[in-house]
Amino acid sequence: MFKKSYPLQSRSEIILRNIVVTAMVIFFSVFLIVPIGIAFAGSFHEWNPLSGTYNFLGLDNYIEVFTSELFWKSMLNTVIFSAVVIVFRVGLGLAIAYAIYSPLVKYKSFFRAVYYMPVVTPMVAVAFVWKFMYNPQIGTINQLFHLDINWLMNPSTALLAVMIMTIWKDFGYAVVMYMAGLYSLPADAMEAAKVDGANAWQTFRYITLPLLKPMTLFVVITSIISYIQAYVQILIMTEGGPGTATYLASYIIYDEAFVKYNFGYASALSFVLFVITAAFTMLSFRVSGTEE
Amino acid sequence: MNKKMIAAMTAAITAAVGLSGSIVMASEAVPTEPFGDTVKYDPTVEINDGKDISVELWEWGSDDLFQQVIDGYTAIHPNVSIKLVNNPWEDYWTKLPLALSGKNGPAIFNVHNSYHENLINYMAPLDIPLEDLQADFTGVDAHVIDGNVYYIDYGMMTGSVYYNKDMWEAAGLTEDDIPKTWDEMREIAKKLTIKDGDRLVQAGLNFNGDFHQNYLLGLNYQLGENLFQEDGKTPNVNSDAMKKVMQMLVDMYEVDGVGSKDFGEKGADSFGQGQSAMVIQWGHYYNTLNTTWSDINFGVFEIPTFDGEPYAYNRYNGESTFGINKNAPEDQQAVAQDFVKYFLANDEAQVTFNLAMSTFPAKKSLAENEEILANPSLKVLAEHIDRYIWPGPMPATMETTLQTAGQNIFFNGMDIDTAFEEAQENIIRDMKNSTFESVESLYAYAE
Repeated sequence: MFKKSYPLQSRSEIILRNIVVTAMVIFFSVFLIVPIGIAFAGSFHEWNPLSGTYNFLGLDNYIEVFTSELFWKSMLNTVIFSAVVIVFRVGLGLAIAYAIYSPLVKYKSFFRAVYYMPVVTPMVAVAFVWKFMYNPQIGTINQLFHLDINWLMNPSTALLAVMIMTIWKDFGYAVVMYMAGLYSLPADAMEAAKVDGANAWQTFRYITLPLLKPMTLFVVITSIISYIQAYVQILIMTEGGPGTATYLASYIIYDEAFVKYNFGYASALSFVLFVITAAFTMLSFRVSGTEE
Repeated sequence: MNKKMIAAMTAAITAAVGLSGSIVMASEAVPTEPFGDTVKYDPTVEINDGKDISVELWEWGSDDLFQQVIDGYTAIHPNVSIKLVNNPWEDYWTKLPLALSGKNGPAIFNVHNSYHENLINYMAPLDIPLEDLQADFTGVDAHVIDGNVYYIDYGMMTGSVYYNKDMWEAAGLTEDDIPKTWDEMREIAKKLTIKDGDRLVQAGLNFNGDFHQNYLLGLNYQLGENLFQEDGKTPNVNSDAMKKVMQMLVDMYEVDGVGSKDFGEKGADSFGQGQSAMVIQWGHYYNTLNTTWSDINFGVFEIPTFDGEPYAYNRYNGESTFGINKNAPEDQQAVAQDFVKYFLANDEAQVTFNLAMSTFPAKKSLAENEEILANPSLKVLAEHIDRYIWPGPMPATMETTLQTAGQNIFFNGMDIDTAFEEAQENIIRDMKNSTFESVESLYAYAE
């Protein structure tokens, strides 16, 4: 199937390679490429796979997406949500990773594990616990700070409350990633800075931070992709409410597909979101490349 | 009814059935004579020529309840094996239609009419004369499609007022104070409300989280307006009746102060936790209180009306009989048809299912059944049960959009006119490809 390209490879290696690659191609075709193709075709149809409805609509679903006030409102919410959470995820992650990295801190593995624990806890469980903490009558947060706020049903605080929970759950990922980055920094660059008389801030600002740029880019891009798809916390904590105040782009897709069984419109929304995600990712690469 | 509500209901029913030792069907002597009213079941007729056959019955909860009917049936027909398959509610409505579209789907399955559009294309019509079904059961006409009936209701569920008897007594109220009108209800709610300064300690009435299901989608009938316009397809949400009901809800909280939008996420939970004195809930709540919050001393009374002579008291929804898979092999479909007929003719099964679900029997001969009337949540419905309307299997957007409208009014400061105008537009958009058609015109007292 595949032409031998390296003369030292044995026949068995080539066979194994072919098997593995073929398996991968089949896997991605069946579980990724084909479903994406089906969804793309479905986005031009009135489609409910459960009732068997499949009627061609042309571009109607896409026109409806771009003329929907709720879609644009949810996109704005998604941008605000993603931007705020990513800024805090990166900022907190970097700060805490740098603190743990310091020679002054002992029990590094312990702290790394503690900060990473929320990341490996299922979002559903975390969202339920935080929902309880935000309860206006018996929630810990109101009691602790002597407040009287209906956090999740007040349009001024609902999205903020979800963002706080998401930051708490996710910043540990950035901590671990940045710690990996810090430990892989070239020691000679640090020593050179020390020899040149750079203080701690100057070392961080002009040596560490630029060297961590690939890691920052990675965290930001994976975060963008992740947060544009965020909907579980919304589903559990606010169901998009009050009204439509906390609708995120992915939550509309869930709502259209699995509540209203409007799979065609949901597919069109998904592809618009896919293009937007790709655009943001390319923009991040472009910004990074320009600076370099 | 939304998904969470149904899931909670299922849990409560499962617990209720599990706790009850009185439900017996299979343990009775195997019948040898035909039984039933107009729809009769003859146990002497062999099924599948007496040869062994296996079918599956899919459902989403209450295994014991279904197993009892299965046991009763297989006691008559030992050559038939019915395997009960439980899929949780969340998965059921995805798995079932996909299974029914193939060759290996279940021959018999439990139906919820909110998923009518996803199931109807896979269902076989009942092999029972329409006039026989009409003679025995109420509400059959609403299920007729091109002269065929695919499933009917075995029970009708609707909303009633649940009140905390201890709080009632503490407020100096007696049974004579049970309100008949909304004005009286508001006064009673005020008496039941307890505040510590500005802080609400006990709500007189709590409708948080379910005002759209239990008030907006039903009280419009009291004011003589349907949920859908004459064409049966266009929603009638932006109506004077709907706005009047919404205004009353707003006034109860903001003028009367009998509750608060911030006093608990769900009125039903708040009542169960002893924080609210009254809630309007559907029949399943009776089981929920008895199982989840068994320490609450509660009573039930019929929903108040605006003037004592309503066009209809409220909306009801039916608990559906089993569906039959039209893609199943013919011999399995024959068993399924026979099983459904057995279920419809069997009064004991009908009573057991209705008590477990807290639904009022659709079978006319059971309207005055002692066991049914011993259930307070069903007794309060008995007098006016013909004065409740089923609008048909409404698309989910009717509930979700009205919830959004209500939240916009309560939490986002939107005025009622704008909220309902927006809701009307959104529902029309969501329903533009729907095949739904209201059956409100089939109401016995339709004007």
